[in-house]
Amino acid sequence: MRLPLWLSLPISALVLTAWPATSYASIGVGVQAGPVRLTGAAHPGGQYALPSVYVVNTGTQPESITIRIERISPGAGRTVPAAWISVTSGPVRLSHAQSARIGLRLVVPRAATPGRYFSDVVAKGSAALAAGGANLGVAAATDLEFTVAPGVASAGWFSAPGWLLPYVAVVIVLGAVVAAIRRTGLRIRIERGPARAGTGGRTGHGS
Amino acid sequence: MVRRAWWAVVPLLVAGVTGCGAVIAPPLASGQAASINLSLTTVPTIRSVTISPGQASFSDCSKGDAVDNTKSTRRALGFPNGVCFVGSVTKQVFPITITNTGIASYIYVSGSGANPADLGTGWSLCTTRGLARCTGARHRPGADQYQVDNFSAFGTLTTGLTDAPRCDQRFGPGGSCWAVEGMWQKEGIKLIGPTTSSDTSTKWTVTITWTPVPQG
Repeated sequence: MRLPLWLSLPISALVLTAWPATSYASIGVGVQAGPVRLTGAAHPGGQYALPSVYVVNTGTQPESITIRIERISPGAGRTVPAAWISVTSGPVRLSHAQSARIGLRLVVPRAATPGRYFSDVVAKGSAALAAGGANLGVAAATDLEFTVAPGVASAGWFSAPGWLLPYVAVVIVLGAVVAAIRRTGLRIRIERGPARAGTGGRTGHGS
Repeated sequence: MVRRAWWAVVPLLVAGVTGCGAVIAPPLASGQAASINLSLTTVPTIRSVTISPGQASFSDCSKGDAVDNTKSTRRALGFPNGVCFVGSVTKQVFPITITNTGIASYIYVSGSGANPADLGTGWSLCTTRGLARCTGARHRPGADQYQVDNFSAFGTLTTGLTDAPRCDQRFGPGGSCWAVEGMWQKEGIKLIGPTTSSDTSTKWTVTITWTPVPQG
């Protein structure tokens, strides 16, 4: 059976326009080539904001990029325990050629051994191309370097428990309310009346 | 008189035509700023890899046990130790293109466990040497184990991929996985299945990941 010309032409055009989309689909991920390096030394018990890591989607398909810490590349130093590094944001969703910066935080336990630490920050793309039951994935790695110096991290010239700041704020607000009431000249007097049988005390009234 | 004038008119016409595109720029007044635009190309500061497979699927499956009716068919893996390919070693077909789209790096490759469609018991990746060794006869995958090798024009990996990324020894000549910007390689995949599978699912997913890695 032959297709009529009026039908075959649109179908041919559709096939031709769809062809590049299927034949050039690709997945790709990129990460900054420069290492993620902490300025200065870390100390046991300290918390540090690491420089954010730059990631980019180099493929044609949208994908989410996640960060994990893993020692892959050769290098000197102790392996960074993955639990020491936390990602300050969730996976980032990037379309083709889009890029983002992902924040990292280093938390050094008090029992950490001083010395040079080394691992890789691995950016992994969520997109996968299926090749007949085999999913093909991409990732990209860059070095992670820092040094842990002896001595517990100093807490700075002022340290306070976490509850103190909200407590102080509440006290200040209450003080401001009291001061405002006093400035208006409004007076509230509370009196206790004689107790009656079967009823509680009577709370007073303002004037 | 008119004929004699042609020798003077023709050069004038030629000069007029060839000079059409030329524009005499007006002289700049003294003290007026002038600038030119220059383009500059820098080396990449991104480490990245891109993968683009052609039309590919696991096929050319072989081996298995015909007596037990578990022999491989062309597109389905048989037991025990059926073998399937994405691409072909003998026909030199390598459907997966891996391109280093960033700064010069080592290209590493890793595998993962195989997951059944029913999310039941998976197959773990094994190798012919190392910690996750295949427990079957002659270092073949045992029960709930499988092996993945990659191949290219530079030959076939025979020890198996691991969960941890390792240098893709089929990326470059002489087992090198060093790739400068723009360097690419076409590869295929060989999968050797387990002796037996605890999970009866007939659909499985495996993942192979390529990672560009710094020199360290």
